[in-house]
Amino acid sequence: MVVDSHLVLGGDPVGAGVGLGALGPLPVAQMIALGPLPDAQMIALGLLPDAQLIANGLVFSSIIVLGSVGLSLVYDIADFPNFAHGDLMTVGAYATLAVGGFYVALPFPVAVVVGTAAATAVAVGTHWLVFDRMDVGPLELLIASIGVAFVYRAVLMQAFTSGSQSYDVGGRSPIPALRTVFDVALTYRQLVILAATVLLVVGLHVFLQYTTMGRKMRATSANGSLAKVSGIRTGRVVLVMWVVGGVLAAVGGVFLGLETLVRPRMGFDLLLVLFAAVILGGIGSVYGAMLGGVVIGMVHELTPWIPLVPTRYDKALAFLIMILILLVRPSGIMGGGTSR
Amino acid sequence: MADDGDGAVDRAAAGPAVDDVTAADDVTAAEDVTAADDTPGSDTAGDAAPPDDAVLVVDGIDSGYGDMQVLYDLSVHLRAEEVVCMVGPNGAGKSTVLKTVFGLLEPWAGGVRLDGDDITDTAPADVVRRGMGYVPQTDNVFPPLTVEENLRMGGVARMHPDDVIEGLYDRFPILDEYRDAEAGDLSGGERQLVALARALVMEPDVLLIDEPSAGLAPSIVDEVFDDVAAINDLGTAILMIEQNARAGLGISDRGYVLDQGTVAFEGPADRLLEDPEVGELYLGG
Repeated sequence: MVVDSHLVLGGDPVGAGVGLGALGPLPVAQMIALGPLPDAQMIALGLLPDAQLIANGLVFSSIIVLGSVGLSLVYDIADFPNFAHGDLMTVGAYATLAVGGFYVALPFPVAVVVGTAAATAVAVGTHWLVFDRMDVGPLELLIASIGVAFVYRAVLMQAFTSGSQSYDVGGRSPIPALRTVFDVALTYRQLVILAATVLLVVGLHVFLQYTTMGRKMRATSANGSLAKVSGIRTGRVVLVMWVVGGVLAAVGGVFLGLETLVRPRMGFDLLLVLFAAVILGGIGSVYGAMLGGVVIGMVHELTPWIPLVPTRYDKALAFLIMILILLVRPSGIMGGGTSR
Repeated sequence: MADDGDGAVDRAAAGPAVDDVTAADDVTAAEDVTAADDTPGSDTAGDAAPPDDAVLVVDGIDSGYGDMQVLYDLSVHLRAEEVVCMVGPNGAGKSTVLKTVFGLLEPWAGGVRLDGDDITDTAPADVVRRGMGYVPQTDNVFPPLTVEENLRMGGVARMHPDDVIEGLYDRFPILDEYRDAEAGDLSGGERQLVALARALVMEPDVLLIDEPSAGLAPSIVDEVFDDVAAINDLGTAILMIEQNARAGLGISDRGYVLDQGTVAFEGPADRLLEDPEVGELYLGG
């Protein structure tokens, strides 16, 4: 049995910070202390990351991807870095909590749908009430978005207290088959997170590539002024963009709440990681944001595999990898060469 | 080429910023040359009404960016199936004319009429639907989209753009060849053709083109001008800007010489090309 004491994604009662993998003790030291493990020789030697870390990485990556795609869309289409995007994830998590047990107790899947719809309405409403009314540049919108983030958080703390809460839903136990066959502890919740993320990403891909509105969105993202000149009503595109980004952020927030705890700062604490994913993938590319999300998420969770690096440096390591990649590819992995 | 009735180079009556002290030298110089040049009709050019068959009438517009006025009481017009080229020094306001006509800038004064309808202050997305297209000078394709998708974006306001797009493939086979290639991967000349074709999917009566030869290798410039001429053959009237003034006027019916935000000279393109004064001042001798 592989040492999996760093695997505390599902059931950690404290849920400190964003770092899903940062919650356990030092696994490398533990592996060494336990001596050679027959099926973990390679892993102990640091030649291969064990399957458990990869599974953890995929789960964390899913949450990052759901957040970073929306952040990237806003950046490309509404043309400003939305510092309220992390808190929009928090809104999704709390809206689901509100109808999933806090105020009323709908069945959890229904609560997720209702909560996601509510958070999306908040995203669209914020666009109407705040961002769309401001005839200013990206810097002013950035500042405004910080204010929006504060408002979201204050309202949530008022309505739900500032304490940590958790969803009243099962699926915390590891799936036995995966445990025996692959020696991986993956909970039912985590399997749902992975499957739902894959579905949403594939759905987004189909939307962007094969629907007229999706093409308009890519066109507006690539060149907003040319989109207007072509006759595209970019105001509608921006509106749909907020719906898409809002849905993905809300679902990502719920998943983050399932993996850690529902806290007022949960999304804000993730924001820098989301920005790292977007920048790493290449500003101007939704697919880059997906890829960047996977890279950042994996590096974050593979930290225990790197010898001599304490797990609490997971985020620092993720940013280090980001910097190294940007040194080689300044415009990001998928960043365009000629124009954006 | 559409027929032109004036038959002479006109010195526009409204001089460029005549109340501006710094402009005094230019005004004097221009008047010296005009005085030496016998141009019948020069006294009436400024207040001459646009012809009845004009599809596009730009009537005395003032325009600019923020507090900076660029255009001063500028009037130009375009007849059906005509090619008209605006030339002039950098900063004369050529691009500003197109942006104002297309609704990207709101004119401070004056108006724009398309097919007799007032389209002043109409948003670009609606101007497109009224039958006018615009090809910007730079960033005029969607790089990550395929050629086909670029053309589809040009036809978003149509119910059924497919037939028109197929027609464009027939007319410009190179587009058909690269229909599934990303526009960002094409050469400069090919990209310019995609930009032109994108604007044609709406089958506009009027096409505004900002410097079709900008940034292209000299060997490609002729090809692009051939494309512009081919577009005109389809029945689209074209108002374009060209830094490469001789080449631009070479494929045009008429021309306007802009200087300091207003029309300094206008007339048939061949007369402008032959005019010694225009040549010396604006066409590099």
